[in-house]
Amino acid sequence: MPELSFNIDHGYLEGLVRGFKCGVLKQADYLNLVQCETLEDLKLHLQSTDYGNFLANEPSPLTVSVIDDKMREKLVVEFQHLRNHCLEPLATFLDYITYSYMIDNIILLITGTLHQRPINELISKCHPLGSFEQMEAIHIASTPAELYNAVLVDTPLAPYFIDCISEQDLDEMNIEIIRNTLYKAYLEDFYNFCKNLGGATAEVMCEALAFEADRRAFIITINSFGTELSKEDREKLYPRCGNLYPDGLSKLSQAEDYDQVRQVAEYYASYRELFEGAGTNPGDKTLEDKFFEHEVKLMKQSFMHQFQFGVFYSYVKLKEQECRNIIWIGECVAQRHRAKIDSYIPIF
Amino acid sequence: MGSLLRSEEMTLCQLFLQSEAAYTCVSELGELGLVQFRDLNPDFNAFQRKFVNEIRRCEEMERKLRFLEKEIKKDGIPMLDTGDNPDAPAPREMIDLEATFEKLENEMKEVNSNSEALKKNYLELTELKHILRKTQTFFDEAEFQHQAMHDPYLGEETMGLLGEESQRSGQPLRLGFVAGVIGREKIPAFERMLWRACRGNVFLRQAEIDKAMEDPVTGDQVLKSVFIIFFQGDQLKSRVKKICEGFRATLYPCPETQSERREMSIGVMTRIEDLNTVLGQTGDHRHRVLVAAAKNIKVWFIKVRKIKAIYHTLNMFNLDVTQKCLIAECWCPFADLDRIQQALQRGTERSGSSVPSILNRMSTKQEPPTYNRNNKLTQGFQNLVDAYGVASYREINPAPFTIISFPFLFAVMFGDMGHGLIMFLFALWMVIREKQLQAKKIDNEIWSTFFGGRYIILLMGAFSMYTGFIYNDVFSKSLNLFGCQCDKDYTPASLDNNQHLQLNPNGSYTGTPYAIGLDPIWSVALNKIAFTNSLKMKTSIILGVSQMMFGVALSFLNHRYFQRPMNIICEFIPQVIFLFCMFGYLCILIFHKWTHYTSDMAGNAPSLLIGAINMFLFNYPKHSKLIYSGQPGFQGFLVVIAVLCVPWMLLVKPFLLRYQARYGQPFDFADVMINQGIHTIEYCLGCISHTASYLRLWALSLAHAQLSEVLWTMVMRLGFMFDGFIAPFMLVIVFFFWAGATVIILVVMEGLSAFLHALRLHWVEFQSKFYKGEGYMFQPFSYEHILDHGGEEN
Repeated sequence: MPELSFNIDHGYLEGLVRGFKCGVLKQADYLNLVQCETLEDLKLHLQSTDYGNFLANEPSPLTVSVIDDKMREKLVVEFQHLRNHCLEPLATFLDYITYSYMIDNIILLITGTLHQRPINELISKCHPLGSFEQMEAIHIASTPAELYNAVLVDTPLAPYFIDCISEQDLDEMNIEIIRNTLYKAYLEDFYNFCKNLGGATAEVMCEALAFEADRRAFIITINSFGTELSKEDREKLYPRCGNLYPDGLSKLSQAEDYDQVRQVAEYYASYRELFEGAGTNPGDKTLEDKFFEHEVKLMKQSFMHQFQFGVFYSYVKLKEQECRNIIWIGECVAQRHRAKIDSYIPIF
Repeated sequence: MGSLLRSEEMTLCQLFLQSEAAYTCVSELGELGLVQFRDLNPDFNAFQRKFVNEIRRCEEMERKLRFLEKEIKKDGIPMLDTGDNPDAPAPREMIDLEATFEKLENEMKEVNSNSEALKKNYLELTELKHILRKTQTFFDEAEFQHQAMHDPYLGEETMGLLGEESQRSGQPLRLGFVAGVIGREKIPAFERMLWRACRGNVFLRQAEIDKAMEDPVTGDQVLKSVFIIFFQGDQLKSRVKKICEGFRATLYPCPETQSERREMSIGVMTRIEDLNTVLGQTGDHRHRVLVAAAKNIKVWFIKVRKIKAIYHTLNMFNLDVTQKCLIAECWCPFADLDRIQQALQRGTERSGSSVPSILNRMSTKQEPPTYNRNNKLTQGFQNLVDAYGVASYREINPAPFTIISFPFLFAVMFGDMGHGLIMFLFALWMVIREKQLQAKKIDNEIWSTFFGGRYIILLMGAFSMYTGFIYNDVFSKSLNLFGCQCDKDYTPASLDNNQHLQLNPNGSYTGTPYAIGLDPIWSVALNKIAFTNSLKMKTSIILGVSQMMFGVALSFLNHRYFQRPMNIICEFIPQVIFLFCMFGYLCILIFHKWTHYTSDMAGNAPSLLIGAINMFLFNYPKHSKLIYSGQPGFQGFLVVIAVLCVPWMLLVKPFLLRYQARYGQPFDFADVMINQGIHTIEYCLGCISHTASYLRLWALSLAHAQLSEVLWTMVMRLGFMFDGFIAPFMLVIVFFFWAGATVIILVVMEGLSAFLHALRLHWVEFQSKFYKGEGYMFQPFSYEHILDHGGEEN
């Protein structure tokens, strides 16, 4: 019975994260935010929420990127606090959460160096949760093999990289493949880790990660149309831990246009809904937004379960969504383009 | 001035302020601190209110001040706190303030960026200096090794095949190198990365720089190392450089020959010295600017916070239709209306407006806030009461009674003259040095708890000395002040020989009692506990029942004040009868037993405990001793009365209410019935369990006395056991141990425990009899409060 001893090891942090969750902005807050005329108004309203005085020491004029940085900083501080106080296996679990940020950072850096951007400029764009020691030296690598041997071999991502080692030069296509292969290996590994933990954690997290895997499979397929990625290569990129595995994935790998993808989704009740609600006409929600909405729903549900780690994952995801929402509203306000200001994704 | 018994009478007022006078009027009211404004625009967002721009400007000013404060603190310049309290500046002065701060901030930023650039320069030069110094040794070693490699005596057979080849090709080993400085903690990863990326084809040497260096941006002290990397070929060179860049190592040009290095080194030294003087000058300039700012910064903070508070308050007001006048609603104490009027008048005059501000009383059905005017002595006790619940408007405030009963009940449990004295002296020190201690603003939670309760502790200490005197306990020893009133049989000599003295009051008592308190002879008797238990138990019951009875009596005052005669008939009277029949009677019996049974009759005195049990069981065995004739009959009568009180409390009020509501007013009988049932059960069971609960007075007192006795016999007495020259030293050591344990265990820990028990007795046993505690606190708009809390509230 892991539930019996759960609170001994993780009770404090679970309580803490549930408390943090109460600070996630509510619908009423968003209604106030979209009425803002300037970023200063936005700041004034955010001051009355759990964000408190996080912008108090920023000189005017305020920019959206400053808000973004500060919000991210707050999340990072909270996350680091959790990470510093946790015990195994929660520690490993939280580390797994950071791996996805590491992947993003690596891809960002490689793409940046490919375009001859100075490394310092790129570093400041990296997510602090995914930073690691060797990160900044990443631009010495010109092939995936070098990347592995020189940089990644010491990081926890090394085992995920085994499949992409090659002597080909890094180019746009290559990088996308690396990103997706890393993600696939990461998701599958995380999925298995959660499954081995068992109990309520497995129940909640496997659902969340299965959704994440399926979302990636759909997005990869849709994005691959019109590129030189072959069907076989594409199939290799699908994470095999979602609900689509195995039948859905094999059908997806044969898909040639958006309608065929939609037909695959028809077989799955929850995905059918998403595809049905999405459209490209003005006023419709994009498929991406529908996926985000579904994710938010899953994350909210995970707070209904107790004695499980899913709440930590969910909290980070919800907070990310909140950042995206505020940035969206902030951008709309800053650019005086209010037509689409309501397309944020409400959380509570 | 109102009394503490009930909270102040409050009234809701409407204020009409001319727009030009509103600012000064609110400012005056803030200095006065007697009105609580109501928010008249609860539906408006923070950024939709009228004065949001002014607030924003204030926040900007606060940000600049915080920046200056940070810089001042960084340099460790003392900030002058003269304690003067400037008035809120007029709105037009805001621009001056803004300009001042703007100028200061810009100046500061310029100085900072200058000094940062200089420091960066300085850091680079120092690093270069270290590189030149350390690399010297590397090159020396390399030279040596190089020679060793070409040593002809090394024997050709030891040379590898490759080595032979390279010699044969005749090219001298041409090595390139880069030198630089890197953070010390990055060295292992750096080395590993170099090895992997260059496949082991580079040679790294590193040496630590002993002195920590200052990071020019953050100002932190960082430890660094010098490194030099040797490699061959251009490809490796670019690769090595990239890695260095990745690890944020700074590379410096380093000449290859020794003479060039020496020359450079000398150049660097002179430049460092030049820089030092420039750095000193910028430092002085910065210091001058900051010292000037430090003189005023506290006053500035106060001014800006006052302005901000005024605009926050103005945001809660309504504009009238003509836009010429602001309308506010506020709660204020009825007794202070005159002072508020005067403040408004002053405000209007200051603004130069000709139209006076108008204050109208309004009638309202809303519950007014609770406002008790306390002084520094009563405030502590008021806090104890408020921690349980703020009194409903105008109900009896338990605080004035608590001032005496709380320390007294505490002292009953903590009775010891010695411990009480320590507590008293500590509190007395805090009270006497109040002003100095307050000025220090010690931000320690534990300290501020004790300091805030200094008057409570003072009284607790004084009362403990009194009860200790009654118990005749000083650190568990007794004083023989008035001469022991026991038989001459007990002389010091006879007591020494009698290890197991059982004191029999019958026969050894001289007939005149010991003047005050417990006869000291009990302290040597083995049956002391049996005696004090009986005494303390009975006292606890008497104290408890009287306090509860007093609580019920206070409920009568509440009912009368709020004009609820039905509650007097249906609740108060049966409650008094119930409590008296059950426990008031018991108290009378206790007094009777104390006064009517002498020591020679003690053997056949009736037991009160058995008597009380028999009373409720209506069971009087034949051989049981009676206190007076007719006792069974009278006691039976009392029990029947008490039982009858229960339906009286339970049923009469709901049915009366239903009768009154018979003409079709909405009336939920079940609701009232359940409510009344809960109250009845609570009271009846409460009387019994609360009486039992007061026995904690005895239990804690016993525990305290026993603990201090144990400490004396187990620790302090050891100190008297030594002989010879070692005795005084041991006595000193043992004494300090005993004294420390006394303070920590007996005074602090036992004191806290007795404090909590006394608190519980007041919150639960006493206040449940009359106190509702459903009110809300009066929170006036007051600068004093805002400034004390650093203006952190929004």
